Amino acid sequence: MRTTAKLGFRFRLIAIGTCAAALVATTAQAQQSADEIRLAEEQAMKTAVATIAPSVVRIETFGGLERVGEQAIAAGPTTGTVVSEDGFVLSSAFNFIQQPSSILVSLPSGKRAAAEIVARDNSRMLVLLKVNTEEKLPVPEFVDPQEMIVGQWSLAVGRTFDPQRPNMSVGILSALDRIWGKAIQTDARVSPSNYGGPLIDIRGRVLGILVPMSPQGGDGAHGQPAEVAGAEWYDSGIGFAVPVVGLLTHLEKLKQGESLQPGLLGVRLKGNNLYADPAEIAVSQANSPAYEAGLRAKDVILAANDRAIDRQAQLKHALGPLYAGDVVKLTVKRGDQQLDFDVTLTDHIDPYEHPWLGLLPMRGPVPEAGGVPVRYLFPESPAIEAGVEPGDVITAVAGEAVADRAALIERLVTQSRDEPVQLTIRRGEETKPIELKLATLSAETPGELPPAVPELPAVEGEQPKTGLIDIKIPEEKNDCVAFVPENYRADLPHGLVVWIHPAGGYKPETLEGRWKVHAERDHFIVLAPQSADPARWTPTEVDFLRKTIEATLDRYNIDRSRVMVHGYQAGAAMAYLLAFTQPELVRGLAVVDSAVPRLAPVPDNDPINRLMIYSVAPTGSKAAPLIEKTVERLREMKFPVEAKTIDGDSRDLSSSELGDLLRWFDSLDRL
Amino acid sequence: MTSDWRLQHELRFPSCQIGSERQVRQERRIPRLFSRWALCMLLAALSLAVVRPDRVAAQTSFADVVDAVQPKIVKIYGAGGFAGLEAYQSGFLISAEGHVLTVWSYVLDTEFITVSLDDGRKFQAELVGTDPRLEIAVLKVPAEQVAFFNLHDAVELEAGDRVLTFSNLFGVATGNEPVSVLHGSVAVKTDLAARRGAFATNYKGPVYVVDAITNNPGAAGGAATDGQGRLVGMLGKELKNSLNDTWLNYAVPIGELVGSVDDIIAGRFRPRSEDDSLKKPTDAHSLATLGIVLLPNVLSKTPPFVDSVLPTSSAEKAGLRPDDLILFVNDRVATSSDTLRDELSYIDRLDPVRLIVERDKELLEVELLP
Repeated sequence: MRTTAKLGFRFRLIAIGTCAAALVATTAQAQQSADEIRLAEEQAMKTAVATIAPSVVRIETFGGLERVGEQAIAAGPTTGTVVSEDGFVLSSAFNFIQQPSSILVSLPSGKRAAAEIVARDNSRMLVLLKVNTEEKLPVPEFVDPQEMIVGQWSLAVGRTFDPQRPNMSVGILSALDRIWGKAIQTDARVSPSNYGGPLIDIRGRVLGILVPMSPQGGDGAHGQPAEVAGAEWYDSGIGFAVPVVGLLTHLEKLKQGESLQPGLLGVRLKGNNLYADPAEIAVSQANSPAYEAGLRAKDVILAANDRAIDRQAQLKHALGPLYAGDVVKLTVKRGDQQLDFDVTLTDHIDPYEHPWLGLLPMRGPVPEAGGVPVRYLFPESPAIEAGVEPGDVITAVAGEAVADRAALIERLVTQSRDEPVQLTIRRGEETKPIELKLATLSAETPGELPPAVPELPAVEGEQPKTGLIDIKIPEEKNDCVAFVPENYRADLPHGLVVWIHPAGGYKPETLEGRWKVHAERDHFIVLAPQSADPARWTPTEVDFLRKTIEATLDRYNIDRSRVMVHGYQAGAAMAYLLAFTQPELVRGLAVVDSAVPRLAPVPDNDPINRLMIYSVAPTGSKAAPLIEKTVERLREMKFPVEAKTIDGDSRDLSSSELGDLLRWFDSLDRL
Repeated sequence: MTSDWRLQHELRFPSCQIGSERQVRQERRIPRLFSRWALCMLLAALSLAVVRPDRVAAQTSFADVVDAVQPKIVKIYGAGGFAGLEAYQSGFLISAEGHVLTVWSYVLDTEFITVSLDDGRKFQAELVGTDPRLEIAVLKVPAEQVAFFNLHDAVELEAGDRVLTFSNLFGVATGNEPVSVLHGSVAVKTDLAARRGAFATNYKGPVYVVDAITNNPGAAGGAATDGQGRLVGMLGKELKNSLNDTWLNYAVPIGELVGSVDDIIAGRFRPRSEDDSLKKPTDAHSLATLGIVLLPNVLSKTPPFVDSVLPTSSAEKAGLRPDDLILFVNDRVATSSDTLRDELSYIDRLDPVRLIVERDKELLEVELLP
């Protein structure tokens, strides 16, 4: 360490010297001094690499998996960085994804020694190895991120090409505080040739451990294991390294074999714009650290560990580097009060489960006295058990009046599931309290349904055009038509079915035949977007699909709680992609003969943006086993899923099966 | 003989010596510079004794370097242009009479090879000769008094040295447009032969791995120089490192090529025998000859665990035991049962086999005598 300090001093002298010289030099001499600087830099870089070299070890792995998911695994070798002299080495989790049966580390002495993984940092995707050796390993100097400056030299070092010599790549520090505060960024070439090695400064001190990383993270759900997320960016000019200083405080824990997990809070914030919306809690999930510490819905988080939070992104940044077990001080505004809470973050939050009364509300005009009239009761539901009857009007939850369905659902979401909930209902002239325990939202298909809308007075004035309507998105070349039923009226919120055609396209004239009767009876509009190439959909067309929905929402009176995307095979795959990437638009997903496509990132079950799924598998379809797995996994994630099978090989729904689906669609606004 | 030939041509074409004139001029400037920068430069030079005065003297700006190098680079057009195969590559002049060094590839597999010089002149090139082992070809164009690199003046670099590469990558330069210049550093100098089977190439010698993305389509045959424009290496074909599934950016040191190029030009090229380390002996070792029985090979990457050792075999005599995991064979890594079998097939039955095995988390070395 003393040598590096001296070296730094020398280098400063050179820098001062060359700068001073440049001031007095003529143009030609200025050229000369630029050359001097370049050579001095080159030499300093070589010295820096020579300084770190003994702490950069080569790792060889033996055996293990051939491929993980879609990813073929190469045999190595890879790199590690010494962190403590008693044989501990940090490396990238990427290097061990094949779960090798044996790991060898080449030591500075040239000897090889067996090593094993003692713990992992699952937040930053690092592993800690213990090397079985008596040899004292040289520990490098680590730089505190506070001292780092964007633009400073940074060299990526690995030991994969040659056991005797490290390989290096020259770059600068491109950014600090990346990937929600977990990583720093460099334009040095970062790849499997140096993952696990150090990113060093020009004095040979460690800025961080090189890793593949992606802002989206990654897990099985994203079709890509978290260990390799971001590896597709290798050598691209965007490389990441994890600073070690913050990690050193946890080093003892890791040495004991305790892995580190990302720290979770357990709240859902209101609004979807990370960069605009304040951090107001929409749901403080029961049993989560936030809830246990006393945080509640409507609290606005103002600061995390005294770092001011104006927008949600800042909270994500503040929490990103923290591990499970870390305590974060949250300052919140509750009404006029400002309160502090110490929250101990956790490594696991149970998936959210939506509340369930087991009834359908009436639609159409809200009763003058307010409240939610009951249209239908699901058999064996909490509501029917508690004695609720069709025609009853729910007027309050836990003593607080509810004006309409939206208010009722907002109240239900924040109720505890363990304690009984007080509902107030109005039956005729009578008002009575009932008590029930909320269950978990069921996706079951209801039986025959009574009309959702009472008799309405005839409409007056001019009504919009009905039938097949072109929906044109100016900047997109795709076509899209909407089928608007003849009895459409602008004063009545309609449902919206976004039907995504399968590969091969469709003829817009055929829409009416399939949808007319249903659309008039259940009051919904059918939107039928077309792929640019009739033969196939491309995933990027999701953006076009979103725009068609938004255009329809602008133009027609649509009930946002009854927007469903529906498709068969390729259309269903696009439906998955659309529903999973546009959670604020889509409430229902009806898919026929398709599992979750690989590209679709499965979101968490969201308390605010509720999504219900109707999955149909033809028994003879090749995709049937995968569909079954999909359903199983979605249910594990607590998504409400209605799974149906139909006879025969791959095929779309028959007209009676479509009738079943549309009964389910007509109950999307269930509570 | 070679050096005589070189001298002659340099005398005849003084225009090719611009670089050396500049060098002389700068050397003269040195003492004056030192007196002005007195203390600080002295400090710098003392503390970094490795910065040798001659290198300091020869430094020029990248702009000057690029100007001096570009006339020596050529674009080569030939066969290809379908199925994702580009019909172009790069090369550089290596004699005043128009000899061009480039990579041997399908692009040259045609009667009509067109070479486009930096000044826009186009020539039909003659294929003088090739060395398939080094994957190089020498062309000749009927141009005279051209600027060229003298292969015998090429320099060697080490990791951390700056590199400039000149090539027509992706064919972006057309007509008399200068080729693209990329800037990077030497990542490491390494031997492609060090890991058998890692690289699908005939060339098995040392390479400079570069940390810039230099080896893209069309770049092969381009020149790599140091920061002063002195020739260092030739950019190789696109190559994937199968050990970690990444593309390799590299240049072949000129020192590896110069002998063969001289022979091709002199018309006395003889194909050399293959690299010995790549040849399998007729009678090689195998698991059976050594008396080793491995665990059944159920997966393609089953680790080579010893299941049993045959009595009186050389394995038993050497002390190999069941459950030992074999990691290295004569210092070559055995990542699986299959690679172990393959490695043994390279060892002559008359030679001893040195194994490094893992036993109870310890590494042991055992030597099996034939």
